Amino acid sequence: MASEKFQNFIDETGDIARFTGRFFKELFKPRFEFNEFFRQCFFIGYKSFPLVAITAFIMGLVITIQSRPTLVEFGAESWLPRMVSVSLIREIAPVITALICAGKIGSGIGAELGSMKVTEQIDAMEVSGTNPFKFLVVTRVITTTLMIPILAVLADAISLYGGFLGANIHGVVSWDLFWNQVFDTLAFGDVVPSIIKTYFFGFAIGIIGCYKGFNTNKGTEGVGIAANSAVVISSLLVFILDLLAVQITDILGLN
Amino acid sequence: MARETTRNLRVGIIVILSTLLLITALYLIGDKQNLFGSTFRISAKFYNVNGLMQGNNVRLSGINVGTVENVEIVADSSVNVVMLIEKRVQPFIKKNAIASVGTDGLMGNKLVEINSVKEDATGVEEGDELETMRPVEVDDMVRTLKLTNDNIQIITSNLRLITDKINSKNSLWSLLMDTGVAENVKSAVVNIKLMTNQSVEVTGNLKEISSGLKNGKGTLGALITDTLFSSHIRQTIVKIEKFSDSAATITGDLSKIVNKIKNGQGSIGVLLNDTMLIYNLNKGISSIDSGALNFNQNMKALKTIWPLKKYFNKTDK
Repeated sequence: MASEKFQNFIDETGDIARFTGRFFKELFKPRFEFNEFFRQCFFIGYKSFPLVAITAFIMGLVITIQSRPTLVEFGAESWLPRMVSVSLIREIAPVITALICAGKIGSGIGAELGSMKVTEQIDAMEVSGTNPFKFLVVTRVITTTLMIPILAVLADAISLYGGFLGANIHGVVSWDLFWNQVFDTLAFGDVVPSIIKTYFFGFAIGIIGCYKGFNTNKGTEGVGIAANSAVVISSLLVFILDLLAVQITDILGLN
Repeated sequence: MARETTRNLRVGIIVILSTLLLITALYLIGDKQNLFGSTFRISAKFYNVNGLMQGNNVRLSGINVGTVENVEIVADSSVNVVMLIEKRVQPFIKKNAIASVGTDGLMGNKLVEINSVKEDATGVEEGDELETMRPVEVDDMVRTLKLTNDNIQIITSNLRLITDKINSKNSLWSLLMDTGVAENVKSAVVNIKLMTNQSVEVTGNLKEISSGLKNGKGTLGALITDTLFSSHIRQTIVKIEKFSDSAATITGDLSKIVNKIKNGQGSIGVLLNDTMLIYNLNKGISSIDSGALNFNQNMKALKTIWPLKKYFNKTDK
């Protein structure tokens, strides 16, 4: 039983790897679906922005308020902007953005492609001469890969603004001083790796969502399963990628 | 198609916004690290850099003007630090400026401080090497501080003893707190002043007297200056001598008389030494006493007798 599960896991990992390989093969084949790409950018990028913005703002505010008591204990209250900015930029804003998108976009793609699969729309597309993989998968994966970093940068900015408000609840930190301290603390080693890793987060969310949706079976029930497992696996992958990213930046000495 | 355009527009807005934010952030970070703008390099050789790292700030009179570009060891007691400094402060860093490794606050990052000295010098040029000062080592500081603390401990315990003594009664403190003493001292000072005034007068008088004496004025002057007078005195002294001799014989007679009195010879002797006489005297006095008592009673009796009673009542009123 356990060995069967393990084999299933290995099988699925292999399938996902082959699916990813197919994505890269299809990516460079001509006839790019630009219109579909822009349409997806609107749905995936723009429609997710309010959700990401609210989450990032709250995280920035909350992290600042929560960090204050500890810093006050050390008499280092003036270090609040520096500490908060580092934790927000390096870790919290990118990961929160990726998780929110995994929930919203991953499930959306999984359910959309899954229902297309079970209603045989994908087969119909193939018959009508359109490459369904190129039209459905490649556009969505590229969109998530490009949109998640953009959302993450916006989330960085919004969460820092939340941090500014949070720092001003109990203390007084002027607008200029806050940003001065933030940019005094931040280095390229903080910003660049955290932006780079969001590309991988986006790619993982897109690939898993598409894989789960593209391989749906068992009718309408399968659509739910596809959406659910797309969220679970992509969320988990976000954390695993985060772990890898941190270790790689550490090895490269960028920390 | 119009809907597509507005959608693309919206996506474009957030993409551009995000890109601008990222570029601004990267520019600001780079600006802090002097990656853009014109800079020049100077170096300094330190004995000990206390953990100075690449990227630490360089301060000129407390202003951030650059960063440490490289820290490398060149000999067992020499560390070369290359600093990237903003071009705009080049005229303000003189060739004889002194670089030292300091700390931002007590626990903060290490940094290089460049401080100017009083002597005049020309500005630094690319690649110049600055003089350095050995950094203050915290260990050293703490060691000295420990010694100071020990001393202070001893001093404070001594101080406590001293203040205890001052505070206790019957001591300097009560003397200090007693206002009467101060007043006494004040009046004493006034008296001393008076006295000195008087002594001034006295010495003035003395001076007059002594000058008078010198000139032979007055009795004493005559005494001192008159030689005839001294022979008179000599005769007087001889006479006094004779007088004292007779006085001695008189006192001898007197002592004899006193002895006789002691032994009860003569009437005075009897009077002084006869104890019976004293007894009789006592007796006489007591009988006088009782006589007076009787007289008193008689008087009281008289008061009650009719004609006299009337008189006494009148006088009482």
